[in-house]
Amino acid sequence: MKKRIDINKKNLQNIFYPKSVAVVGTNKVRGTVPGDIFINILQTGFQGVIYPVSPREKSISGVKTYKYVIDIPDEVDLAVIVFPSSVCKLALEQCGQKGIKSVIIISAGFREVGIKGVEKEKELTEIANRYGISFIGPNCLGVINTDPVSMLNASFARGFPVEGSIAFLSQSGALCTAVLDYAQAKNIGFSKFVSFGNKADISEIELLYYLMDDPKTRVILLYLEEITDGRELMKTALEVIEKSHKPILILKSGRTEEGASAAASHTGSLAGKDEICDAAFRQAGIIRCDNIEEMFNIAIAFVYQPYPKLNRVAIITNAGGPGVLTTDATIKAGLELAKFSEKTTLALKKSLPTTANINNPVDVIGDARADRYGAAISAALKDENVDGIFVILTPQSITDIESIAHEVARVSGQFGKPVYTSFMGQADVAEGIKILEHNDIPHYILPESMCKPFRTVYDFGQYISEKKYSLTVNEYITNKRAKELIEKALRSGKKYLNELEASAVLEACQLPVAKREIAISAEEVGSLAEEAGFPVVMKIISDDIIHKFDVGGVILNINSVEEAEKAYHDITESVKKKVPGSKIQGVQVIRQVQNGMEVILGIKSDPSFGSVVMFGIGGIFVEIFRDVSFRIAPVDESTAFEMIMEIKSAGLLTGARGTKPRDIDSIAEAIVKLSSLATDCPQIKELDINPLIVLEEGSGCVIADAKMIIE
Amino acid sequence: METEEIKKRIKKVVAKVLKIDESEIADDANFIFDLGADSMQSMLLIAAFEEEFDIEMDVEKAQEVQTIEGAVEFIADYL
Repeated sequence: MKKRIDINKKNLQNIFYPKSVAVVGTNKVRGTVPGDIFINILQTGFQGVIYPVSPREKSISGVKTYKYVIDIPDEVDLAVIVFPSSVCKLALEQCGQKGIKSVIIISAGFREVGIKGVEKEKELTEIANRYGISFIGPNCLGVINTDPVSMLNASFARGFPVEGSIAFLSQSGALCTAVLDYAQAKNIGFSKFVSFGNKADISEIELLYYLMDDPKTRVILLYLEEITDGRELMKTALEVIEKSHKPILILKSGRTEEGASAAASHTGSLAGKDEICDAAFRQAGIIRCDNIEEMFNIAIAFVYQPYPKLNRVAIITNAGGPGVLTTDATIKAGLELAKFSEKTTLALKKSLPTTANINNPVDVIGDARADRYGAAISAALKDENVDGIFVILTPQSITDIESIAHEVARVSGQFGKPVYTSFMGQADVAEGIKILEHNDIPHYILPESMCKPFRTVYDFGQYISEKKYSLTVNEYITNKRAKELIEKALRSGKKYLNELEASAVLEACQLPVAKREIAISAEEVGSLAEEAGFPVVMKIISDDIIHKFDVGGVILNINSVEEAEKAYHDITESVKKKVPGSKIQGVQVIRQVQNGMEVILGIKSDPSFGSVVMFGIGGIFVEIFRDVSFRIAPVDESTAFEMIMEIKSAGLLTGARGTKPRDIDSIAEAIVKLSSLATDCPQIKELDINPLIVLEEGSGCVIADAKMIIE
Repeated sequence: METEEIKKRIKKVVAKVLKIDESEIADDANFIFDLGADSMQSMLLIAAFEEEFDIEMDVEKAQEVQTIEGAVEFIADYL
């Protein structure tokens, strides 16, 4: 049996390039969704045949109507259903009978309205499965294809965008209309424009695969409200990028959430859905955007200009202040200010007045006209040390704005290097900006806004040249014993593994767990501490206590038998007082590691992406500092190093201000092993190793505490 | 009241509200899918049925009735 995903891929061709379209449930009332969709298809210049299907009308806009879709005598490639939700199933059933395989269901009133809507949506998918139909929607704005061979506007959008190389996919229909308006004002064109609504059948996955092979699309933008299958999205994105080298930009809403705060572990609390999304997108080569403006800022950089070879930027400005601001933003974005060659310096000297600054940022001075801009841009673009240019203009009385815009467009196309612009202001520069936009020169209102797109395009270019397109394969096979311990705990009804039980699992995975003894009375604790060697740490063992520090269940720096006996007494009394009724199983005695640095490792299971691993600066304040990094498991050693080096405090590990570097290799090894455990044992809901004490370089690390929640 | 009588009167009301010929209305006709009623006409139909049969219907439940046969059954419960 053919998989649904393959059927959808095939049927998507007729959604974008139908030779005939039936609008099912339309009417002749303008200003209504059923009426406007028919008119939009008709008026946009659709290259195929259109059939209105309406129970009551005899004709609409001079086109003969049919009462039912099955009455149409010819073959129909695509049906657009605009009936109210209560009768969509009847319409879809008839589409099936008619042999139509591609459908767009515009109608709302399904999953988004509650349980009754969920049932209605299920009925649609059942009918679609029965007839081999693929459908977009329900609850969507529709589909637009600007390709001149199709010119399909099967949507109720207000306008039809110009042809371009950007494909825009959105779960939100309302956002689509706003984006179309925004893009129209900036002369941004689209190849395909899809609102896929409730994605009851065709989802972003099939659409991404389709766009991978679409010759009209060079950049894919995606607005998502929910991710149904995160792993599948990652896999798809990697494949699309690998095979097509098309960047995928995602704007994912729901950046804040309360769910994470209810988690039982540090990792659970720190690994919110948003952090997990960030990690997953990064691993899949997806570019995540914070807002629509940023998304289009980056998209136009991708489609209008070549990729920079390296990250060395020349800034050309007619005003000092904006030049300095842009310089700051350039450096902050991780780009470099290009150092001009002697030849360039001479050329600039020759063509600019003596008052001009011929070093980077180049100040062509406030009275610069088009010839001066042209000469400076040209000289800089010829320089081998320059990978791209930021052109800044402030409108002054002498500034011939439109001429400069034309000159920028003329010169920039000659050297195969990217040129971005910022004509600052609004009214005076409006015509100049239009000229730039019509000539495919990316324009940004603020000069600082040029930096992130440049950096993103540069990074993506590097990413595709590195050809690292696969999700990491598990490097270790988790010890059978570890799996058995977890399964045994689950069989006995346990959901929380205390430090001893969690440590046993970690030990079985060859993770470096600290050696510990267990005292069940004050009398024996002294000798156990002496055997371990002072100083020791003592910690409570109880299934009823997760955060031991908070209830006085941990005492550090114990240096004698007497102190150990007192500590035993203090710990048990404090726990009894703070957690009345808790069952105390004993007190651990562990030799205290000296001069170590505390880090945290963790696992969290995410319903969409599966197991996630976390690394960060540890200790009891981990939630306050939130200096952590995440990756979807499994991870390899190089990814583990990335995780370690990307936290803000990484310098503390590499040796800051005269301190000795820590054993980073041993942390990376622990992360990789932990990620294998996470992959092999999806029953682990949350796991904290906090702290993992990292010793000096070459001396390893030690797990001092751990806890695990399983399900 | 006999079912046939209810059906006859329902069809008469539907024909009047939707401005169609009574003969075009099949027993199993769906108000929207077959007869082309829009949301406003669906509300008008409910009001017209109430007037025709001198009853007061549960509007939420009445909105779920989609066919002539369904309306016959629904209205019969009020008579």
